[in-house]
Amino acid sequence: MNKYDKGYMFIVIIMAISVYVAFFFFIDNTNQNNKQAIVEYKGKEVLRIDLTIDGQYVVSGTLGDVVIEVQDQQIRVTKETSNYHLCSYQGFVSNNAIPIICLPNDIVITIVSNESNVDTVIS
Amino acid sequence: MKIRKLTTLTMLLSISIILNIIEPVIPIPAMGVKLGLANILSILALYMYGSKEFIMINFLRVFMSHLLRGSLFSVGFFLSSSGVLLSTLVLLLVFPYKKFSVFGISMVSATMHSIGQLGMVCFIYQSIYIMNYLPIMLILSMISGIMLGVIIKRVLRILRVDYE
Repeated sequence: MNKYDKGYMFIVIIMAISVYVAFFFFIDNTNQNNKQAIVEYKGKEVLRIDLTIDGQYVVSGTLGDVVIEVQDQQIRVTKETSNYHLCSYQGFVSNNAIPIICLPNDIVITIVSNESNVDTVIS
Repeated sequence: MKIRKLTTLTMLLSISIILNIIEPVIPIPAMGVKLGLANILSILALYMYGSKEFIMINFLRVFMSHLLRGSLFSVGFFLSSSGVLLSTLVLLLVFPYKKFSVFGISMVSATMHSIGQLGMVCFIYQSIYIMNYLPIMLILSMISGIMLGVIIKRVLRILRVDYE
């Protein structure tokens, strides 16, 4: 390994750290107890789930039904039809910056803060 | 094209297609990460014959493996194509200068695959959040790049190809 290889390694590590740090500050943690999950199929919103209510939901994906479970303000995909079942293996997600993406089914689940409800008003 | 060259390129292409298809069987603890074994063959083609053959192996590999899997023009096909396109372009830019060693070339290829694929996911789903996964992908692809570099160097030595 020569000095250029090591230089490239250094650049990649710096890039990885800076992306990590950028997303660390990008995560919206201000409204922890008031979150919603948006389920999109082919870029269009098909379902909006309140994460404070536990339950199971079913949406239709490209290859079949996708079963979504909400538990303790976390969301996960429990059942879906795909080759590698990556989104089922991903498990529970409660972070705004981490989406659940099921590529074969064209399903994307993202968590957003519910801005319409106001927790406290300080006057 | 000489018969010998044609046969070698065909072999490189067929091995890369087979590796591409059987690779998901190899368990990797990180989600969605592959070793990129098929990259070995395209980089071998780059060192053995040059950029034209490298481009040919790279794109034919993606096309043929998805054709055989029955997933041609699916989302996965576009992800693979974008990764291959970015890594091919960057390698074609850096390779002629002969600054990087085999390890460097392998690392550049692996990391550019990751960036290209994640970029495509962002574009398809119009969401920047997937870039959150980039640091893990970059570090893992760098490690796999070094590992594949060891194999490439060994094969090039056996084939008596100049790689310095």
